[in-house]
Amino acid sequence: MDIVVASGKGGVGKSTLTGSLISLLRDYEIVAVDADAEAPNLHIVFNVKEWMEERELISAKTARITDACIECGMCDNVCIYEAIHIVNRRHRIKQYLCEGCGACKAVCPVDAIEISDAISGWIRTAHTPYGLLVSAELDVGKPNSGKLVTEEKNIAKQWIREGKAKHIIVDAAAGIGCQVIASFSGANKAILIAEPTPSSLSDLIRVHWLTEHFRIEPYLVINKYGINPGFDGIEKFAEEKGLEIIGRIPYESAVPKSLTAMKPLVEFAPDSSASMEIKKIAEVVEEWL
Amino acid sequence: MKITVTGGKGGTGKSTVATNLALTLAKKYLVVLVDADVECPNDHILLSTKLENEEIVKLFKPKFDYSKCTKCGVCIEECAENALLKFKEGYPFLMPTLCSGCRTCQLVCPEEGTILDDYRIVGYTYHTKLSENLELVTGKLENGEERSYPTVLAARRRALGIKADIHLFDTMPGTGNHVAAAIEDSKVVIAVTEPTPLGLHDLEMILKLLNKLNLKAWVVVNRSDLSDISHDSMVEKYGGEIIAEIPMSDEILKSYVEGVPVVVKYPESKPSKIFENIAKRIEEVISWT
Repeated sequence: MDIVVASGKGGVGKSTLTGSLISLLRDYEIVAVDADAEAPNLHIVFNVKEWMEERELISAKTARITDACIECGMCDNVCIYEAIHIVNRRHRIKQYLCEGCGACKAVCPVDAIEISDAISGWIRTAHTPYGLLVSAELDVGKPNSGKLVTEEKNIAKQWIREGKAKHIIVDAAAGIGCQVIASFSGANKAILIAEPTPSSLSDLIRVHWLTEHFRIEPYLVINKYGINPGFDGIEKFAEEKGLEIIGRIPYESAVPKSLTAMKPLVEFAPDSSASMEIKKIAEVVEEWL
Repeated sequence: MKITVTGGKGGTGKSTVATNLALTLAKKYLVVLVDADVECPNDHILLSTKLENEEIVKLFKPKFDYSKCTKCGVCIEECAENALLKFKEGYPFLMPTLCSGCRTCQLVCPEEGTILDDYRIVGYTYHTKLSENLELVTGKLENGEERSYPTVLAARRRALGIKADIHLFDTMPGTGNHVAAAIEDSKVVIAVTEPTPLGLHDLEMILKLLNKLNLKAWVVVNRSDLSDISHDSMVEKYGGEIIAEIPMSDEILKSYVEGVPVVVKYPESKPSKIFENIAKRIEEVISWT
């Protein structure tokens, strides 16, 4: 079983829910995949102190202008990333925007552009008290964090083939772009999280569209339930789409405190009403497993 | 002058800070607010306005005229995304979802007229006039599209084409090049964070990105009374400055759920005064430049 936890909007509780679910379901041999390479957080929820393995992922390329440059500016005309600028009357490439596509090299009349491999980021793995964790970190300013996520999922799938684990739970990034699409690849079920605000609804609609597009069975969890009693947009949307609501987690001050304590909420405050509701969600997930 | 609100982690309050600051600055200046969170744009929701004046964001994709193709394979070799394939002695063909639109295949093709221009829709931009002094430019990624960068660039181009005293960018969460493109050339960068280990971790990632761009951050700690985690040493390490702490308040929560920004609904409240103070700091920067 490959389950992805996503929300579109950031900060609505993906890592809190993922952390608690994995803690409750630790007997099921789950690999946790932190699929937010631009802001990875799951290792903090699990209080990981030491990585089992850490390696660079080189899947990006980058261009550099050499001294042979005659300042003709043809590279600038073709760069769709707007990565070329002029510093002290010399053409230069902004490394933090370049995707290494090679269009500049293709048009350069004097062969003054070198393309080389670049580090995309780092892939890390850890043993936690709850099972295996794969995490990734994008080298800041680099393109295509989705490639890191794809690599993470490959590692998790490899572990399953080797019998080291049985299931995957992916904590997706905010948004609906490359990282989230890579997280959805091969998933069976998606747990979507929303909070009762119009912004969160707007983002839920976008991420729900992706689950339909990729044919992943979606389920909904409403977090911070009750903070906005006048707003029923989330529930209306769920009804309209036949989206099953598997949990309504009330807002509680124990949630931020558990983050500060670097413990999954269900361990930090097991008797809180939020933890009780997460346990019900875990029972639903347990049946899937 | 360009100002950017960013932060690394999702859900820390970037859009809340950006919209309230835009409204405060618009009392005195001509402001264009740019919602560069193209995967999940929400500024128009916080401002309770509809998106108007839609323009399509197109990305090049190759179209082959096989009557001219010699099957030399150069386009396939040079495609950095491996988006072009051929079977044995066949003609090259495109895997559309992998194509980055960089045009390298067309630029390297030795037979002119073989690779023609086609395009795909990757997103939309909008331009909404909110008042005499405040306009909103929004980028919105097409559903199912992985590449958010071209839509960020299109929104940036459209916004900077509007004459204004201040262009205020609100970025995506994360630290990739789609965030860097929104930040670069800013005179002031405001990084919004929260006092949790997750907020602190992701703040470090965005501060690293800002260092690469030779920029210093003004850090705003949102929900500052959530815990006593200090950002001081982190901010000091990267040469930034904490310019404001916004405690949790009923006014912010109420205005958020009701869709009326706090500076409009509760102009005398503490958070509104904080936004006025940040606006004053920005005013000082404007007066120097």
